[in-house]
Amino acid sequence: MSVAQAVAQPVAVSRRLAIRFRPSRVVLNVVLILVALFWMVPTISLLVISFRPEGLYGVSGWWTVFTEPSQLTLQNYQSLLGTGLGTGGILDSLITTALITVPATALVTVIASLAAYSLVFGKWRGRTAVFLVIVGLLVVPVQVALIPVAQLYHAFGNLTGFNPYGTLPGVVIFHVAFGLPFGIFLMRNFYTGIPKDLLEAGRIDGAGEWTLFRRVVLPLGVPAAASLAIFQFIWVWNDLLVGLVFLGGNAHHTLTIFLYSQTRTLAASYWVIATGAMISIIVPLAIFFAFQRYFVRGVLAGAVK
Amino acid sequence: MARVALEELTKRYAGGNLAVDRLNLDIADGEFVCLVGPSGCGKTTALRMIAGLEDITSGRVRIGEKVVNLLPPRDRDIALVFQSYALYPHMSVYDNMAFGLQLRKTPKPQIEKAVKEAARILDLERFLDRKPGQLSGGQRQRVALGRAIVREPAAFLMDEPLSNLDAKLRVQTRAEIARLHQRLEATMIYVTHDQVEAMTMADRIAVINEGLLQQVGTPKELYEQPHNRFVAGFIGSPSMNFVETASHRNGKAELQGEGVNVVLDDAQAARLRDRGLEAVVVGFRPEHLKVGEPGGPGLRVSARIDVVEFLGNDELIHAVSGGRDTVAIVEADARLAVGDTVSLWAEPRHVYLFDPQSEVSLGGA
Amino acid sequence: MAVSALGRRLGLRRAVATPSPDLGTPAVGVGQMADVGRPPGGGWRSHLGSLAFLAPAAIWLLVIVAYPLIGTIRNSFYDNSSTQFVGLGNYKTIFSTADILVSFRNNVIWVVVFPFLVTFLGLVFAVLTERVRWATAFKTIIFMPIAFSATASALVWNSIMDVDPHVGMVNATLQTINDWFSPPGLYPVNTGAGQTLSELASTGLGAGANGTLVSKAPVSPGQSVQLGMLGISPATLQLVGAQKAVIPASASGAVTGLVWRDFSPTNPTARGRVFADEDGIAGLRVTLLSSSGNSVGSTTTDAHGDFTFSGVSPGAYRVQLDSSNFSSGFTGIYWLSGTQNIDPTSGLNQTAQALLSIPLVDLSMIIAYLWIWAGFAMVIIGAGLAALNREVLEAARIDGANEWQTFRRVTMPMLAPVLVVVFVTMVINVLKIFDIILNMAPSVSQANTLATSLYNLGFASSPPANGLASAIAVILFVLVVPVIYINLRRIR
Repeated sequence: MSVAQAVAQPVAVSRRLAIRFRPSRVVLNVVLILVALFWMVPTISLLVISFRPEGLYGVSGWWTVFTEPSQLTLQNYQSLLGTGLGTGGILDSLITTALITVPATALVTVIASLAAYSLVFGKWRGRTAVFLVIVGLLVVPVQVALIPVAQLYHAFGNLTGFNPYGTLPGVVIFHVAFGLPFGIFLMRNFYTGIPKDLLEAGRIDGAGEWTLFRRVVLPLGVPAAASLAIFQFIWVWNDLLVGLVFLGGNAHHTLTIFLYSQTRTLAASYWVIATGAMISIIVPLAIFFAFQRYFVRGVLAGAVK
Repeated sequence: MARVALEELTKRYAGGNLAVDRLNLDIADGEFVCLVGPSGCGKTTALRMIAGLEDITSGRVRIGEKVVNLLPPRDRDIALVFQSYALYPHMSVYDNMAFGLQLRKTPKPQIEKAVKEAARILDLERFLDRKPGQLSGGQRQRVALGRAIVREPAAFLMDEPLSNLDAKLRVQTRAEIARLHQRLEATMIYVTHDQVEAMTMADRIAVINEGLLQQVGTPKELYEQPHNRFVAGFIGSPSMNFVETASHRNGKAELQGEGVNVVLDDAQAARLRDRGLEAVVVGFRPEHLKVGEPGGPGLRVSARIDVVEFLGNDELIHAVSGGRDTVAIVEADARLAVGDTVSLWAEPRHVYLFDPQSEVSLGGA
Repeated sequence: MAVSALGRRLGLRRAVATPSPDLGTPAVGVGQMADVGRPPGGGWRSHLGSLAFLAPAAIWLLVIVAYPLIGTIRNSFYDNSSTQFVGLGNYKTIFSTADILVSFRNNVIWVVVFPFLVTFLGLVFAVLTERVRWATAFKTIIFMPIAFSATASALVWNSIMDVDPHVGMVNATLQTINDWFSPPGLYPVNTGAGQTLSELASTGLGAGANGTLVSKAPVSPGQSVQLGMLGISPATLQLVGAQKAVIPASASGAVTGLVWRDFSPTNPTARGRVFADEDGIAGLRVTLLSSSGNSVGSTTTDAHGDFTFSGVSPGAYRVQLDSSNFSSGFTGIYWLSGTQNIDPTSGLNQTAQALLSIPLVDLSMIIAYLWIWAGFAMVIIGAGLAALNREVLEAARIDGANEWQTFRRVTMPMLAPVLVVVFVTMVINVLKIFDIILNMAPSVSQANTLATSLYNLGFASSPPANGLASAIAVILFVLVVPVIYINLRRIR
């Protein structure tokens, strides 16, 4: 091969590679942008509809807002929020949902952490077997327990006079129970990563189990606990079935029940649904954005491990 | 088999970091060359550029006579043994070794022959049906080697293949690789940070530091005639002692350092005079020190023994003079005890002189 | 022995002084320290301590999860008030009730269609975003719907898939596309209100072939014909700019005519005569047909409803009002009504037919559910991709594999465990699907799944059918048991 040929060859190859490379990257980016836009459309449509006057629904599509932005209005929000804290209104539902979600989340996080500690650092036999049983409970559908627990609540009411059915605590108790398998799974897997030497040193120094838990394991486990809490929070906040069943005839609704009941009224006013839905997703969305990393980690821990 | 040539090979990363700086190296057909140097010196980057896994910023890589800069790895006719072996976890040992040939649509009987032959050479015949997860570290390493052998490449590239093995296995595998090289007569480019591996296996060694080639030569050349202080200190274990000295100003060709006195012979004195140096860095290897105080030119150290390590035939001694530690390997002698003051000396030919600024060696010993 | 740094952090004070380390005795005074993690002397106490930690969770799970599981199994063998033993009676009822069988069918559709689609979509997204710099932003957008309640999401998609093209985006888009290719005519037939084309014909007109209206009596050049129509709204006529009908003069060698609205407010029942206050129908496309049915020429009626065909050779002709005048354009597909199905070929009895057809509403809901969960699949598969050993992929490159070969023969097999996890998780998810159906197809019995049937029977009917609902719950549980087995094996 002559020098001229040898020099010419690399240049020719380089041009071929360059041309083959660029179009695919541009196409890829365009496709992804289109997909992302498409994905945002439902959320945006809800947002826009909640800001449009009720009369326009069914007359013109929400997408006309781009050509006629003047149609936007706050009146929907004013109407809904204007009912104040009255029972059955949206603010009342917001508070009800919070009153259920916060205790459920806190309880699950604490109880699961305690149980996980026992499963990892305890010195009793059969820890693995118990853990496997708990993990097995992960797949038990909520539906399986609904009727007997309702019956249990009634029986408990006959016995003690306090019937959890139809009360907020009744809902919380149920949510905690079904949040525990996942919570214990997540916390236990995290705790196995804590070096046992740390606790051995503490024990030699005289610490009891409770001290070790409170002052060594719990602080170290904050990342996992945060993931669990966020995951649980969003899960309970968005639940419909458990609320429907166990709040029964309670005048106070959760946000999801509020929205669901709108679909069952004959004159379904979509502006209520849209505005209500927007209000209901503000809290989980805020938490999602603020703690995204923890939420994703919770999802990953549950599935990949 | 083919020769590999690196011409002004350079790698600059996006942030401006210069990982490999104008590396020039000529590797003959069938030669075993080691690229050696401390972590981060650029040796692995250079190897990956030869393989085609890293883009070349400037310079050329030739395999055979062909410039391969823009060829993808699969067209360069090379095989790479990774530090972590990089075996396909879901394929059997047989399939791991056969994969490359399958992709090239080699007929099945031929594949079988090649794989079985490689397995025989590497004593892997019993494991052909197992998956990598069921093998020990040493066995996996051999599978990685087998995968390379089967391809019959123009050059074998190896990236620290022994560093994941325990000490005993490492010594054993070192010999196996050397045997493999003799048997296949293949061109091998071997990257390692362990100078013992380089010294024992290579035909020639290229010492690299901070992206720059320090010296290329046979193990003997590097050991006896290091070009600069870095190579002198890198090659040899335990490493060379260094001391800063200055001319004694007593008219004689004498150097004085901390606890060290050097009387130069004529050649050395001439070299100092030619360069007009008043101060110089002196280097001497632990194994070249002997107990005693003879006269004449040479190096003398008087120091207090701090630690004595018994090595069987020899003893390794750490001795302190002033604030400086001298390491010496001498014949085992029960009379040497901790706390004693000992006089050590070395012949002029074992005394190395280095320019204090450029750190270049002042000529042959 | 001094207290270690850890011990100090825990707030412990120094324990009893112990022998010096030189003698090599263990620096522990038995019985002089609070809790030691090894027997003898401290063993049983730490045993109890950590067991106590498990107690709250254990009790909670036993009472609300484990015991009810047994309770439901028991209830499934009792009648609907849970007092009388009926053996397998409930199960027999389930497998013979068409509605519940329909629920089964829907669950099957969901399980067969959804997990594959969502895993596939997640894989595609995960792979595509590997090389893109704004991958995190993209993933956030796709993942976000998980934070919404399934209820809210269902309601959003309700709106998107609404049948009215003024509300539902899907139908709006389809309408735009449809109208581009076959735009609606000026006088569309309102099929939504049940109107038919023949109702539009009044005087001298009858239905022709292919959605046209044709003059009943033949017409010759030199004649003028009057064609009356009904069912055209005055509003439309006003929009089109129609004016009062004028009877055209006849001309030799030409066919002239009038198309007018045969309704006079002053004489509402009179038909067939052109009154002064009746409107002409403007902008109508008319074609002159020869006796053999071929088109001789076309023209459009003017503002008074008049048209003229000149230069017509002698013969008998008919006047045709083209079908394009009456095409209705796109009225909207019923995505969520449950009445539109993909049916299997005929020849089956009614039950089998119902069981084998796929309601469009199921597919619509699956699309909505994909919107929610594709991000979940993408995130998990993305993490799996990132965790792959890069060097194995480089080895494949060196072995000679191109991009596609590397992906198919190395990346995918190594990714297989992650894909299985996602798939199985989604199968469980879909078996229990509830929220989205309740909200997207609230009264569509075609769309029910096991979970909604359970809810309807057990909590939304009075009296609640405990036995049946429990039996369904047991079936649901049994379907899910193999997954427990897979899960356990994975943990090991």
